[in-house]
Amino acid sequence: MIIEAHGLRKTFTAKRGRGRTEEVEAVRGIDLAVDEGEVFACLGPNGAGKTTTVRMLATFTAPTSGTARVAGHDVVNEAGKVREKIGYVSQAGGVDDNAPGRESLLLAARITGLSRKQALVRADELLETFSLTEIANRPAKTLSGGQKRRFALAIGLVNRPPLIFLDEPTTGLDPQNRANLWDEVRALRDQGTSVLLTTHYLDEADALCDRLVIIDHGLIVAEGTPGELKKEVAGDVVTLRIDDQAAAQELLSAQPYIKETQAEGDALRAYLDDGEHNLPALLRALEAGGLAIRSISLDRATLDDVFLRHTGRSLRDAA
Amino acid sequence: MFRHTMLFLGYELGNVRRNPVWPLFGLMQPILYLLLFAPLLTGLPIGGKPSGGTLANALLVFTPGVMMMVALFGSLFTGFSMINETRNGVLERLAVSPAWRPAIILGRVLKDMIVLILQAILVMGVAVLMGLRLSLPAVLLMLLLMAATGLFASSLSYGLALSIRDEGGMSQVVQLFTLPLMLLAGMMLPISLGPDWMQTAARFNPLYYSVEAGRALFADNFSDGSIPLAFGLFLVLAVLSLGWAVRSMKRIAG
Repeated sequence: MIIEAHGLRKTFTAKRGRGRTEEVEAVRGIDLAVDEGEVFACLGPNGAGKTTTVRMLATFTAPTSGTARVAGHDVVNEAGKVREKIGYVSQAGGVDDNAPGRESLLLAARITGLSRKQALVRADELLETFSLTEIANRPAKTLSGGQKRRFALAIGLVNRPPLIFLDEPTTGLDPQNRANLWDEVRALRDQGTSVLLTTHYLDEADALCDRLVIIDHGLIVAEGTPGELKKEVAGDVVTLRIDDQAAAQELLSAQPYIKETQAEGDALRAYLDDGEHNLPALLRALEAGGLAIRSISLDRATLDDVFLRHTGRSLRDAA
Repeated sequence: MFRHTMLFLGYELGNVRRNPVWPLFGLMQPILYLLLFAPLLTGLPIGGKPSGGTLANALLVFTPGVMMMVALFGSLFTGFSMINETRNGVLERLAVSPAWRPAIILGRVLKDMIVLILQAILVMGVAVLMGLRLSLPAVLLMLLLMAATGLFASSLSYGLALSIRDEGGMSQVVQLFTLPLMLLAGMMLPISLGPDWMQTAARFNPLYYSVEAGRALFADNFSDGSIPLAFGLFLVLAVLSLGWAVRSMKRIAG
């Protein structure tokens, strides 16, 4: 286990003006177990407590209660030892705008204990890996979002950590840079580095991670591999817009091939396996019931359907 | 610990070396004061002469005040750069790195002191070109006094930056305190020209002593009581404000 957390909680005291304060329970009891070499994702809407969880595991902020061991050391009592074994790339990136990226990289390398010569070698290696050599001496403020993110990643990897935390690594990146970053995460896994990333993108969690937890309101609502979690729902989902939604839900729930139905706003989602073969039967049933369909679509079930099943709302609306 | 402090110092000095425009800009104001304000003082009864003194005589009184102005103003604004770093993830990243946290502050404070000493040398150089005569011990002790004042002011600035974390709020706070402190220290004109109540009020302003000590040093009055008083006062203040800034750094996590 590279990460082992039990009952992590974090309560902030927020100021609400005029001397009033309010307790905000950002994380309300999270257990995590991440294996070595795994790419593990925390998926959830903004404000779910993902960043706070990562910050506790990375020793930035101490948990209000609960314990966690990261790379074999306690995050509170042995924070110094944990810091030697992790890389951490925050959502903000943490690349100094005023200096060339190479300088930030060299400083980070020397802080981990490398000599000047070793730091130069390591920096060149990382610049090469992330195709940054040509822009290494430009002030970071002149770089694009994607270039800065690559510098942030390079800085996070400077000490060859067995574990790296990536907090919302692709937020704000264009599709091309996003795809590149995914490749870089896969390359890390291939080298045996464990990765814990947070994301609110369903496709990112689905495409990239070996296992994930879905977090909502500071609690884990589901855990497993993307495949397992989706199987829990069903293979396919039919989304219907229909005038008499309640009658349609009742009728569909009674069909043997429908595993589950969920009403979400003006849409009704019916979960079923082998959707292509069962769709005609579904249409006939609705027609027999005298229900007029406004629109219908058949899709593969996604992690959003898992999220909907556990929280009653879609991740797209939850932010 | 020492190694990390030196690493941060080297990094910060690198940034100054690549972009030396701003510290030089910071010198425009004091140099303009020397060129365009000091000559106005030649007719005033200062510097031990009843009246009708020379420019060199006026500079003897005026230059230490302008230098303390650089030490105070220049240093109090250095913390602004750190406010942005509380948001752009730089401090967050350093906080979870193996960096010794006080080094993050110490490296910057040392950089500020080095920049300040270089600025002080340039200001004194201009004053000397204008006709000021200084002894070597006076110059060296003045640089030390500047360093102590700057250490206090820049530590205070980082402490404020880490506590307020808002550019607008911080500039209000800094403005609010600097003007009365500067006027009541007799930076422009000696407080001894003013009424009794101002002279009494000035005694509660630590800067008053550093300005007075600076004037005593320039006049080669090395036995003047204001010199040990100013050094002692600013060493204590510097230790307190540095301690505060370092503690604020350790508490960087929300």
